[in-house]
Amino acid sequence: MIRRLWALARKELRQLFASPIAYVVLTVYVALTGIYFFQHLVSYNQLLFVYQSEGLTAGGFDQGTVPSQINVLNEVFVPSADDFGLFLLVVLPLVTMRVFAEERANGTDELLLTSGLRPFEVALAKHGVTYFFVLLLLAGSAIYPAVVVLRAGLGFEHLVALYSGQLLYGCAVASIGLACSAFTSSQIVAAVLGYAIPFVLLDFAWLSNTVSESAAALLREVALLSHYGSFARGVIELRHVVYFAGITALGWLASVASLELSRAR
Amino acid sequence: MSAKIEAQRVGKRFGSVVALDSLSLEISAGEVFGLIGPNGAGKTTFIRILTGYWLASEGDVRVDGVSVTRQRFRVQARLGYACEQPKLYADHRVDTFLHFMAELRGLSGARLRGAVDLAVQRLGLEPVVRRHIGVLSKGFRQRVALAQAILHEPAVLVVDEPTVGLDPAQQIELRRILAGFKGQHTVILCTHQLHEAELLCDRVALLDAGRLAALATADEIKSGGSLEELFLAKVGSHHETAP
Repeated sequence: MIRRLWALARKELRQLFASPIAYVVLTVYVALTGIYFFQHLVSYNQLLFVYQSEGLTAGGFDQGTVPSQINVLNEVFVPSADDFGLFLLVVLPLVTMRVFAEERANGTDELLLTSGLRPFEVALAKHGVTYFFVLLLLAGSAIYPAVVVLRAGLGFEHLVALYSGQLLYGCAVASIGLACSAFTSSQIVAAVLGYAIPFVLLDFAWLSNTVSESAAALLREVALLSHYGSFARGVIELRHVVYFAGITALGWLASVASLELSRAR
Repeated sequence: MSAKIEAQRVGKRFGSVVALDSLSLEISAGEVFGLIGPNGAGKTTFIRILTGYWLASEGDVRVDGVSVTRQRFRVQARLGYACEQPKLYADHRVDTFLHFMAELRGLSGARLRGAVDLAVQRLGLEPVVRRHIGVLSKGFRQRVALAQAILHEPAVLVVDEPTVGLDPAQQIELRRILAGFKGQHTVILCTHQLHEAELLCDRVALLDAGRLAALATADEIKSGGSLEELFLAKVGSHHETAP
């Protein structure tokens, strides 16, 4: 089984990097995360400058005193993580839309599913390669935060927490996109659903005033953002890990179910 | 190395459309068996059920007694399938694709290389082995589809419309290749080319509207005239059924 999975994964990788989409997505994501991270860093430096500036002493600040909440974690890492998460939401459906839908549209799913491969193996290889691509995206964008962690003496654990969160969140979003791709032969439909579902799941704050307290609490638990924030503050909580792993597993199960259901059409 | 196939009252419905209606067939080990019929007769539906790609709405197909419904992976391990209008990875080179398919079939190392070399040789793919599938002619794409189907030396070889869209020279060449499979596998050949079925098959089943309209051996066909006459007698000349 491992050999078959590896063969299928290599085929997926070859197909992923045979199209320009993978390179465009990598470049755009790394560029955007770099620009926005730099912007937060510049803002933080300006804030530090303001607090430490002599000219502001008369305005009520104590010269040279920077409030404890103004730190690199709160001013750079937390807003950057929010931006990075949004960028992942924008770029990942561009990668996931093709994975199953193209196979179905070209009829090559018939080749795979009559060659003795189990549907769960097909889904496992396709999901695995997409998660690897998420890892590549994150690795490309980790350079700037890594430099800041080293220079600011923050502690490596903050970087690990931030990127663990992003990896879990990215895999969950990718898994939703892959499940959408598995249920259609149209890449456009897969992309639209791959955008719509994570965007709806992102945050239910807009609904909280119109539903009961208990329903609002439930919606908070379901929302992606509620589980994403703490990672940027350097905290890895098991319940958030379980939440993202659960969504990822559900996406994979939905992909397997779609392949099985297509037999009974 | 071949296998016996038994189809027992196999049916397939798509909503209210009956694509296959209680079809029963027995195909002996080593036989070259032809499936003919008009469009929408149920030929491809039967093949897709046999290969485990679709689930039968009723009935079952058994390969050497192994049920496709219950143990499709065991059946698929003994089966090679070259589908209609070959569905291949156009961005793969022929050799890369065959290596990939051989790996999916569980081959590795020297056995894999040997199987790929043999398939390339048997299908005459040497001139195009390093080319991308997307740039190949239809004839060579058909050969690649057949090559991947025989990599693991299957007991049953299922070939759906192998010569459709090919020029006469390619058709003749492909028929020669198909004739070479006789005696090595149980071959199920689904075709619109009546002449092809006459030339290659030991027995032919004529399907019409999802039902078995006629079943005849090569000798019976020859003694009764031709397959064309049988077709016209059973199906008619202006027949088309809904898919």
